[in-house]
Amino acid sequence: MAEPLLKVRNLKTYFISKHSQVKAVDGVDFEVQPGKVLGIVGESGSGKSMTSLSLMRLVPGPQGRIVEGEVTFEGTDLLKLTERQMSDVRGNRMGMIFQEPMTALNPVLKVGEQIGEVLIRHRKLSKAEAKKQSIGLLRSVGFPRAEQIVDEYPHQLSGGMRQRAMIAMAMACQPKLLIADEPTTALDVTIQAQVLDLMKSLKNKNGTAIILITHDLGVIAEMADDVVVMYGGQVVESATADAVFDDPLHPYTKALMESIPVIDQDRDRLASIPGTVPSAANFPSGCRFAPRCTLAQESCHQKMPELRELKPGHYVRCDLV
Amino acid sequence: MTSYVIRRLLGLIPTLFIITVIVFSLMHLMPGNAFQALIGLNPHIKDAAKVIAQRTANAGLNLSWPQQYVNWIVNLLHGNLGTSFEFQEPVTTLIGIALPNTVTLALTAELIILIIGIPVGVFQANRVNKGFDISTSLVAVFLYSVPGFVFALFLIFLFSFTLNWLPSMGTVTAAVPWSGDLGDRIQHLILPATTLALPSVAYYTRLMRANTLQVFFQDYVRTARAKGLRSTRVLFRHVLRNAIIPITTQFGFDIGGLVGGAVILEQIFTWPGMGELTINANLNRDYPVILATTLIFAVMVLLGNLFADILLASMDPRVRYN
Ligand SMILES: Nc1ncnc2c1ncn2[C@@H]1O[C@H](COP(=O)(O)OP(=O)(O)OP(=O)(O)O)[C@@H](O)[C@H]1O
Ligand SMILES: [Mg+2]
Repeated sequence: MAEPLLKVRNLKTYFISKHSQVKAVDGVDFEVQPGKVLGIVGESGSGKSMTSLSLMRLVPGPQGRIVEGEVTFEGTDLLKLTERQMSDVRGNRMGMIFQEPMTALNPVLKVGEQIGEVLIRHRKLSKAEAKKQSIGLLRSVGFPRAEQIVDEYPHQLSGGMRQRAMIAMAMACQPKLLIADEPTTALDVTIQAQVLDLMKSLKNKNGTAIILITHDLGVIAEMADDVVVMYGGQVVESATADAVFDDPLHPYTKALMESIPVIDQDRDRLASIPGTVPSAANFPSGCRFAPRCTLAQESCHQKMPELRELKPGHYVRCDLV
Repeated sequence: MTSYVIRRLLGLIPTLFIITVIVFSLMHLMPGNAFQALIGLNPHIKDAAKVIAQRTANAGLNLSWPQQYVNWIVNLLHGNLGTSFEFQEPVTTLIGIALPNTVTLALTAELIILIIGIPVGVFQANRVNKGFDISTSLVAVFLYSVPGFVFALFLIFLFSFTLNWLPSMGTVTAAVPWSGDLGDRIQHLILPATTLALPSVAYYTRLMRANTLQVFFQDYVRTARAKGLRSTRVLFRHVLRNAIIPITTQFGFDIGGLVGGAVILEQIFTWPGMGELTINANLNRDYPVILATTLIFAVMVLLGNLFADILLASMDPRVRYN
């Protein structure tokens, strides 16, 4: 296999305050192959967003801190870069889009300026050139009247249009990696499909690898080449999408799979797994899924299982399989 | 935009009308009579009772209140604010001298407020809970809680009496060749304007700090960082541009307030402005002057609010001119 584009090793991101230590991300490993889509799934609070923000080194400070790990992107460990060097990577070789298109765009700046400033920053374009390119970018994400949109403000756009504008912004410098944190969760179902199609076509055109974070296994099934399943700040299973869907090994992944029909029916996501995600401030000492696991045995509550490679490329954090 | 301003200006008229009615009624409810105050107590005037009756009649004070009110409005619409009972001069002349002095003072104070308040607040927020933030926050709380006239006395004591650096009285130095120079005027402005500004500097600093902190945690600031923008651009273009919006609104509201707030300070600094004129007029029941000054304070507040709305509309694209 070719050298991975991104290699994450033992990433730990904690929120540390005087009274508590929240282990939002607790020793995560995964890889992203060039031009491929890696899906990250998991229930709310499992650490998906903090993992992705850690890759961009945008964990909200001062409490949030990456305490350990390596994030090797195109051969360099991003965690060792200075803030200034890191800002050369952000928006340039690595772009990011967020869940809430309503709040993720600056309400008082024109859409064109918000796209253009990326090009001015990383491509050293003049204002006029940046505006011209912004129009082209907006057109490439499906705006028919791009010339007008550049001079409009975010509140004049619908949610789906805003998310397209966000994508145009993140793709402006044709990054090698796009991180999309629940890019469609806030959108209508039909708009969701359009935005996902757009991301797919941009990926195919530019060869951009994507980390796609979602609650929605349907989205993963449609988009992802590889899948990482997260639970309690850890990776519990990672493999190719085919392997995860055809032959899920971890009891949590199996439970997720069984919950798919529920997703389709009333969009009440993952409701079929009884119990709740443990608080990241206070994890159980053994396997973090054990309290909700139907197969759990005495030993599961005592010892934290290691992430083991059970089949080539298929990793599972469960001692029972 | 222009039509919006015109519509808003026309909208002020009913408010002004109500204000004049209220002021007119309150003024006539005050005990005493202008000429009683001016003449009755003066031992040099013989036959005071007759003079008082004569001048009361001349001033139209024997007419019914509604009639007096109508006369006043009609004159007002002709640009005539009447003649001061005390000074025997047209009220417009008196105001023509006093108003510019007060506006100069208020605008200078506003300038000081914005020039200090905004950068300090932003700087505090940028390094929140560090040394600079904590120390200046303490100073701000102190400034905000001490009444303005205490500062006035302290600053006069320090800079005028002890150090003799700055004048503490009037707008110009009398009887010197440079009297009335720009430099001379600025020197006279420094102490009263600083005193007037200090509590608001503290308030604006706190406001700016809070706004900036709030904006720092907005999603769009994270987006700006995720685009790799330099931290200066994130701060000035994305954070500040949003954090300053509530400040401009506040600024507009405060303009009218500052003009009124100068009343007591003008007494302390013997600044010949609206404050002096107003206090004198009220003590002497100088009705035409009382009416005129009150009207002007009201207009200032209303215009300030209008100015605030216009500023807001021009800074925040989400606001519509409706
Ligand atoms: N600012 C913060 N301070 C303390 N803890 C935090 C903070 N932000 C997030 N966390 C904790 O970190 C953990 C992981 O959060 P994260 O946002 O990564 O979850 P997620 O998987 O993205 O969930 P969702 O699907 O709801 O977006 C959670 O337990 C959360 O409580
Ligand atoms: Mg999240």
